[in-house]
Amino acid sequence: MTDLIGPDGGGTLATWVAAIATLLTWSILVGARRPFTWTQRLLAGMLTGYLALLAIREVIVPRLISPLAGDPAGHPLLLLGLLLAGMLVAGRWLPRWVGAVPVAILVGATAAFALGGAMVGSVLPQIVGLLPAPGAGPAMAAGAVISVAVASLVLLAFLHGRSQGRVVGALGAAGRWVMLGGVGAWLGYLVLSRLVLLSDRLAFLATDWLGLGR
Amino acid sequence: MTEPLGGLRRTLPLAFVAIVAVGTLVGIRLDLGPGAGPAPAATSLHADLAELGRGRVLVGFDADIGTYAEIRPAVRAALAQLVRGGATISMVSYTPEGRALALAELDRLRRGGVEPGRLLDLGFHAGAEAGLVAGVSSIVPREADGALAAALRDAGAGIGAFDAVLVVGGNDLGPRSWVEQVATRLPEVAIFGIVPTSLLPQAVPYRASGQLAGLVAGAREVAAYVAAVRDDPTTGAVQGAAQVTDEPPSSLPVLVGLLLTLVLLAEAIASRWRAPARGGAA
Repeated sequence: MTDLIGPDGGGTLATWVAAIATLLTWSILVGARRPFTWTQRLLAGMLTGYLALLAIREVIVPRLISPLAGDPAGHPLLLLGLLLAGMLVAGRWLPRWVGAVPVAILVGATAAFALGGAMVGSVLPQIVGLLPAPGAGPAMAAGAVISVAVASLVLLAFLHGRSQGRVVGALGAAGRWVMLGGVGAWLGYLVLSRLVLLSDRLAFLATDWLGLGR
Repeated sequence: MTEPLGGLRRTLPLAFVAIVAVGTLVGIRLDLGPGAGPAPAATSLHADLAELGRGRVLVGFDADIGTYAEIRPAVRAALAQLVRGGATISMVSYTPEGRALALAELDRLRRGGVEPGRLLDLGFHAGAEAGLVAGVSSIVPREADGALAAALRDAGAGIGAFDAVLVVGGNDLGPRSWVEQVATRLPEVAIFGIVPTSLLPQAVPYRASGQLAGLVAGAREVAAYVAAVRDDPTTGAVQGAAQVTDEPPSSLPVLVGLLLTLVLLAEAIASRWRAPARGGAA
């Protein structure tokens, strides 16, 4: 049972709404487009409302308006943030560079956090992890060699726009097949996750809604 | 000329769902289990969470609605284990989807009788990875009150105030982001993860390198972990949120669905091979 909603009257109503919405979504399976479109619009509308509510209740009011209303001088960074947000919103009616400043800060900061973290937290430790420890067995050494070979092939696959010899070209093509294999394996994992979701929805209809198997 | 198999092809999605539905119903009626095999990672997570005892645990809840069904039994089993052990549970989310699911799980824990003083809702934190980094120094919101919030503030109010972090992954900000942004700044805080199969290739290297203290990834390990918590001989009779009530789905419909997917894939590849042959003949 999903048990995300309580067993009271509100919970029963929510279960019925969820079951009917599930069936309306699946109506596309028998070619009924209109009910499917309704559920799509319902989802889009609810998602928009939820995101707006989340932004207002959990970010804008408690982390921006309340602190600034209480002590504006004590929060210079929030004032700066508010100014940048205002520049972004009003950028359409202002000179182009005004809107470009907050966008540049946003992109630069995001890239700095993501790239810095990836380098220190993923790339370097994973490379170190690849190196066989002293006294490591042949299996670990073989694993390291295979990992280096796969990583090298994939890197060679990204060599575009340069004159390549036959060997490098062939290795790059092999790298593209390795990447394709990786994407295929990941899609297989995704199919498995989605099948569990489908089975869970079917079990929800059978047990929570229809009461079978309780 | 109309495709002779066109009508049949149009009914394939319905037939697919119908066959998986039959598999699901058979699984429910016959009470078929998920087929949990030995999984050292699940046993290890169970032992590690048991060691936390009455510690302060931060749950980074950023599951994805599309994959949460797969890991939900393990997440609930982990929460049940933490409740049994006497740990306090604080939940934070960095994605809107994760926040919606975290609220539902917090509500379920409250309905399950967990004392309010042992639960703390740290809310939604905007800023994605920048928000994670900000959480290293300050994660307890100003409006949070109670003894747990006060204790966390006394301990610094950041992620370092917790004994361990349990990351519920599935969305953009999963165990990888926590390792990259938090573990590099707070190496002393143990980070555990529960992720769906789709994140398995991304998360497993961090378990192998020891950057994640523990990880349960995919349906098989989820089933093994749930079985480990449910059949824990060290705990007596438990009630409410300490119980394991959410079992992983039977593997029968998933197996049936995978076989059908393979058949459909093979048919699609074969039809692509046939198409040039027909074109050549014409």
